[in-house]
Amino acid sequence: MEFLNLVLIFITGCLVFRKPEKERVAFRILVVSVLLMVFLFSMATRTALLPGVNY
Amino acid sequence: MPTTQTPTKQNAVYTMLAVAVLALALVPVGGAVFVLGFIYGDSPCVMCWEQRVGMALVALIGLFVLRFGARPKYIGLSVLVGAWGVFMGLRHVGMHAARDIGQGFSAEILGAHTYTWSLFIFWICIVTMGLLLMMLQRGDAQVSPRGLRPIEKVAMLVFLVVIAGNVVQAFASTGPPPYMGQGDPVRFSFNPKHWVWSLEEWSNLLSFDRWSLRGRWAAEKPGLAGVSADPAGSPLANIPTLSIQEQRRLAIPLRGTITDIAYDAGSDRFLLTTQHGVYILDGSLQRLVRYTVVDPGYSVDLGNFAGAAFIGGNEVMALGENKSYVVLREDDEANADANFRYFLESFDTFKEVSRSRLAAVRARMMYTMSLAFDAAGRSVYTVTVPNSKSKRLVVSRFDRRDLTLSEEFMPGLKPEGEPGLRAKRSVDEFYVTGAAIENGRLYAISAAFSTLLTIDLATHEIVAAHAVSGLDHPTGIAIKGDQIYLACEDGRVVTVAKPVS
Repeated sequence: MEFLNLVLIFITGCLVFRKPEKERVAFRILVVSVLLMVFLFSMATRTALLPGVNY
Repeated sequence: MPTTQTPTKQNAVYTMLAVAVLALALVPVGGAVFVLGFIYGDSPCVMCWEQRVGMALVALIGLFVLRFGARPKYIGLSVLVGAWGVFMGLRHVGMHAARDIGQGFSAEILGAHTYTWSLFIFWICIVTMGLLLMMLQRGDAQVSPRGLRPIEKVAMLVFLVVIAGNVVQAFASTGPPPYMGQGDPVRFSFNPKHWVWSLEEWSNLLSFDRWSLRGRWAAEKPGLAGVSADPAGSPLANIPTLSIQEQRRLAIPLRGTITDIAYDAGSDRFLLTTQHGVYILDGSLQRLVRYTVVDPGYSVDLGNFAGAAFIGGNEVMALGENKSYVVLREDDEANADANFRYFLESFDTFKEVSRSRLAAVRARMMYTMSLAFDAAGRSVYTVTVPNSKSKRLVVSRFDRRDLTLSEEFMPGLKPEGEPGLRAKRSVDEFYVTGAAIENGRLYAISAAFSTLLTIDLATHEIVAAHAVSGLDHPTGIAIKGDQIYLACEDGRVVTVAKPVS
């Protein structure tokens, strides 16, 4: 899934650089990438979402 | 006042942003893949991958600003990703920060492991965003795409090269969807024979009972509510019964309920603790010798006292459920004014010697409700109480001289003979709320099943167990001669004959 996310980031970077008229598409992919990162990290830490220390 | 910056000033802001993007892309994101990954074979774990992706996203949002101007949605998203990155860093660092010195996970760089650097870098990102925002003025948000200057083009090209490198590493290390990163990744290699693609992180995704905010750190505070006092339910079979010989209620008013009791044969006196009170009574439990109420919130968080012990030299120790403690010395000439900071009542009877915490290993994730002093071994002992996350009966010994962990063991039963364990039961079910030591044996009273355990400190075995009939939630134990005194949650102090074993 990290591979997929980095591909999305690469595509978004290309759009920003070479196809600035596709700004809305680029931003939507960016948001999807951010949400995917949040989901994957949460899934990897789902047995203890918060740092495992004293509060 | 101008509402927009001059082109020169505006260019300076964008130049600084381009340099920041270059630094972020080259050093942590690029260095991680080209140096650590491709040269040294380091592979990120699943959490490191997301932290790296987060840094790449912050850099990408920087490219959006370079291209389209400082629009609010880009600024807002960059702050959100930066804040999430700080959280990811805290979550990851939290797994390893409290380990012994020098320990960690994977590569250490300049004295810190990679996940710690990630926390620092995300924090720097947010600081940089704040500084750049301060330099922006109204009108700086572009409506149409900006033309790119050379340094901005370089930033974009470098970013794309770095991300391309990461795409290659991610394919080799984590594989195509639905494969994803691993908790313990395999060393990076360009040779497909060494690639390991895993679905382990997807397992039990829909088992929502496994989702938790704090995991094993979400242990409940100790307490006797719901603890069964019925000896018939004991995990031990066929144990003898002790009968209560005498019971009394103290005539002395106490601040709170009795949480532990101890006895000092040398001075023929008892020590009692309440939630925050420390009381010394005479040997008949009828006359109050001295007392104080400790301020539990000053400095170390003491919580509620659950253990008490005479520890020699006119000193007593009161232990909180969280294994934080205070050591007090009896002092008839104590300075009441100086003691104002330590105590809430009776300021001139004790001097505070120290206030700190006992640190355990096996007992780390469990509270304790007992404390005992072994004069012969110059040690203090604690025994754990189980919680919903950790269920182990652990005895911890701390050297009296520095109150540092010196031994820990999990008492077991003798391989054969009495007491015997019922099928599918465990001694970890006991809920020890009081402990006392005599002649190398630790007497532990369990509120669960109202059972007195006798543990040999040399062999670490439970050599005897006795049910105590009529007992209701004991909170402490003291040994005086051939009598065992048990303090109870309901305010009674009962005595039983010390078993001969």
